[in-house]
Amino acid sequence: MTTPLMTTPLTVQAGPDAEQTGAVGAVVASLPVSFAPAGSQPDVVALAGTAGWTADAADAVRGGIRGVVVVDPVAEDPAALAAAAAEAGTAVVLDQAWAGNPVLAESQSAVRNAIADALADAVLLDSVAWGVPGTDPEVLLTRHLAAVLACGVELAGLRIIQRNANGYTVIGSLPGGAPAALQGITTSSVPATATVSVLTSSGRADITLPDASAGWPAEVRSVTSAGAASFPTIYESAHRHSWRRLRAAVDSGASAADLEQFATLTALVGQLHDSPH
Amino acid sequence: MSSQEHAAPAPLGVGILGAGPVTQAIHLPSLARLRDILEVRHIMDVDPAVAESVAARVGARFSTSMDELLADPEVEIVAICSPHQFHAVQVIAACRAGKKAVLCEKPFAMNGEEAAAIAAVSAETGVPIVVGAMHTFDPGWLAAESVWGSLPDQVHTVRSSIVLPPNPRFEDFATEIVGRTPPPAPAAAGTAADHTAAVKAMLTGGVMGLAIHDLPLVRRFAPDFRDVEVLYAQTVLPFGYVISLRAGAVTIELRAAMNGTWEPSWTFEAIGDDASLAIDFTPSYVHAGSATARIRTAASTTVLGPFGHNGYEGEWRKLAELARGTGTAPDPETLIHDLEFALAIAEAAAACVDAGAAAYEEARA
Repeated sequence: MTTPLMTTPLTVQAGPDAEQTGAVGAVVASLPVSFAPAGSQPDVVALAGTAGWTADAADAVRGGIRGVVVVDPVAEDPAALAAAAAEAGTAVVLDQAWAGNPVLAESQSAVRNAIADALADAVLLDSVAWGVPGTDPEVLLTRHLAAVLACGVELAGLRIIQRNANGYTVIGSLPGGAPAALQGITTSSVPATATVSVLTSSGRADITLPDASAGWPAEVRSVTSAGAASFPTIYESAHRHSWRRLRAAVDSGASAADLEQFATLTALVGQLHDSPH
Repeated sequence: MSSQEHAAPAPLGVGILGAGPVTQAIHLPSLARLRDILEVRHIMDVDPAVAESVAARVGARFSTSMDELLADPEVEIVAICSPHQFHAVQVIAACRAGKKAVLCEKPFAMNGEEAAAIAAVSAETGVPIVVGAMHTFDPGWLAAESVWGSLPDQVHTVRSSIVLPPNPRFEDFATEIVGRTPPPAPAAAGTAADHTAAVKAMLTGGVMGLAIHDLPLVRRFAPDFRDVEVLYAQTVLPFGYVISLRAGAVTIELRAAMNGTWEPSWTFEAIGDDASLAIDFTPSYVHAGSATARIRTAASTTVLGPFGHNGYEGEWRKLAELARGTGTAPDPETLIHDLEFALAIAEAAAACVDAGAAAYEEARA
């Protein structure tokens, strides 16, 4: 990949919360041709995805910003933001720790095909999200569901089986009727990873999505009756990948599908709130 | 010193009740590596051709009756590898026959009353009983147990996940099986009641036949094991389960799938706030050494194993110790509690299916 020499960097501004959770300074420094720290008038901003982020982002859009990165967004209806962004032609990218990993990008067709093949023959989906103690279970679950959806999984009939300060268990089913079990676990002994395992009639696919605080690569492995395959590693964090996507969206003028996909996620989380516990 | 003083003791005589694939593929190969301390002397099976064939491969006598094997004075240790429903009667008979030690495949009884009767006979006769929960004898597990310190006090979540191909794949790597029974044909689609019964049967079979391997391990981290609440139970095709439960304050997640894969995966995890244990077990039958255990904190990972033998061989080493009067026998109360825990989960999982079926019928009405 070669970056054109004449690229003009977009200037970036990040609030303290976004800087801390999104490592914005370090990521921008790793894309020195595409971005530069802003003086007073930024081209793009990074916002923390804490409660109220959709309103904050919509304000930034109306303020004439060219692009917004939202770091680790909690479940919120993004409809109004999506409408504002479309009207203004502003790119909005969601920087999600696991769902934003580059291994799950549309361009990774071999990975996506392997996962899709496994899902078409699934007998069980078993997924675990790990978070540090004190993580709000709902925040962990939102990240977790986002990761599972980003793998191309369709979930139905989700319900919370148990939830406490140490995590949760959510059960649902795949389109073919196979059970899907999502478990959240808090501990400081394991990095904040998410695993998605799809067991099939004759093998499995396993996706391990790393903590985005460093460039640890995701691991994707497929087992079929013919053998096992590991897919090429990508040593790029979800944070950095999100910023590259923002630059591409600003340059092309094409809106990213992030908010549309996030609406699906928000609807699922909303359904879970309504399910019997 | 005379050479007599250096002579190793004669091997202990072993008799095995039931000569099916577990005996052929697991116990006989394990015993073949322990010929200096154990010697198979008598094989019993209700199928005389199987009994004769299996006995011949180890140069042992054969019979088709338990009484004949128990009356054999050359048999000092009895292994009970018969179908589950015969375990209790045979364990009690072996104890009363004055044998030196008894190994009983899991589950060693089918209900609490049978378990209590076995414990009473063991106490009365002084014959030690080992239940074939092989992972509790796995050197990887034992090494972890020796160093995990206060980990059990902080564990809030336990996961057991078992993914295995059908048994014959691994049996055939271990030996040449005779008398294999073909798997039962899948039941034809029937009524909703038939379906519910089939689901319950698979869950009960899954817990008592598969999950039971690791439930003694789970119980080490679930002190309130009598306070079992199954929150969800579902089958996995073609055979397996997803079971979510609580035992006291500990969350327990059980997963299993026996599919057509060639790649086994057998893991056990116990997770606390700032430390966790993860164990990768080798599959049964293949004699591929011990589990590998990892104890993790934020700052370190301690790796234990793998070691050269698995828990099945560990069981036999333990039996030899016990038969020679060395070593400490498993506490019968522990064995009973392990069984009670498994039975409680199996019953509650089946009840979960009944509750789901009732809700479905109610919704239809």
